[in-house]
Amino acid sequence: MVEKWRLLDTGLKDAFYNMALDEAIAIARSRNIVPNTIRFFRWEPSAVSIGYFQSMEEEVDVEACRRLAIDFVRRRTGGGAVYHDRDGELTYSIIVNEDHPLVSRDFQRTYENLCSGLVKGLRLLGVPAEFKPINDIVVEGKKISGNAQTRGMGVVHQHGTILRDVNPTIMFTVLKVPSEKIRDKMIKSAEERVTSIKRYLGREVSFEELKHALIEGFEESFGIELVPGKIEDFEEQLAIKLREEKYSAEWWNFKR
Amino acid sequence: MMLKAEYKVEGGKLIKVQLAKREGKIDAIKITGDFFMHPEDLIDELEKALLGCPLNENAIAETIRRFVRDRGVILLGATPEDFAKCIIKAGGGNG
Repeated sequence: MVEKWRLLDTGLKDAFYNMALDEAIAIARSRNIVPNTIRFFRWEPSAVSIGYFQSMEEEVDVEACRRLAIDFVRRRTGGGAVYHDRDGELTYSIIVNEDHPLVSRDFQRTYENLCSGLVKGLRLLGVPAEFKPINDIVVEGKKISGNAQTRGMGVVHQHGTILRDVNPTIMFTVLKVPSEKIRDKMIKSAEERVTSIKRYLGREVSFEELKHALIEGFEESFGIELVPGKIEDFEEQLAIKLREEKYSAEWWNFKR
Repeated sequence: MMLKAEYKVEGGKLIKVQLAKREGKIDAIKITGDFFMHPEDLIDELEKALLGCPLNENAIAETIRRFVRDRGVILLGATPEDFAKCIIKAGGGNG
């Protein structure tokens, strides 16, 4: 019998809820309230997230974010600052028990295992994606997906981005650059280092088409069946609480 | 904290350090960056463990190595030696 995982598609939500729901699912999984889960989500409004160890003031132009109505949030995972464009990016989360064969004691190996579903999905779309250590997926050497992982309470939580389309100009307006002078240079260099599905294929791939391919990629690569499910009451209530008390709070977002 | 430095690990991540020193020792420190450390919340305790440590690259690397070993910390994208390099860079060199 094929192993069944839950599939959630939570659509467009704000940054604080998005991060809160990820943690709520991880807690629910650790208490065996829910099965292993893959979640797709998007960001409305567009947002910036920073890694657990980063400083909000150092990485993000908070004033520019306020002016452009772009949210900013600290993640529970390490890694770098990311601009999440409402219309350009699809984000996913994987919440899986630590005792699952996909999870190794070796974090690097676990990244590669969990990213294999994304790699497969992108290849199904005709995008020759490859995993690149430590935590990226690249196409012809250019980054198309960034991923970050944490574990605790016996659960691995990995989330990451898939770029449908990319906008380095907004990205470097909200992310801090060392000086105005090199902003243009950084935009150019980002264009050389980062790509998107649209740029590679030369055509628009809808969110629906992308999700469909990724679902197939995960199912084939993980040997699972993804069953569309719903957010449990426990998760929703916990997410609302974590959104208010943690992810939208100054103490959390500005703690480093 | 007046002293600052950044250190990009080759093939790895970016470490940023802010520190204050007194009599050649670390008086206050904040380590930020896009590296991975598990469990994440031990970063505060790592910073505490560095307080009073002489600004000597070997001593700092050893302090971090011991912390990592004793607390079962996993680092990805940066090693204890990389952190030590960045701290020394911020402190203006050994001693």
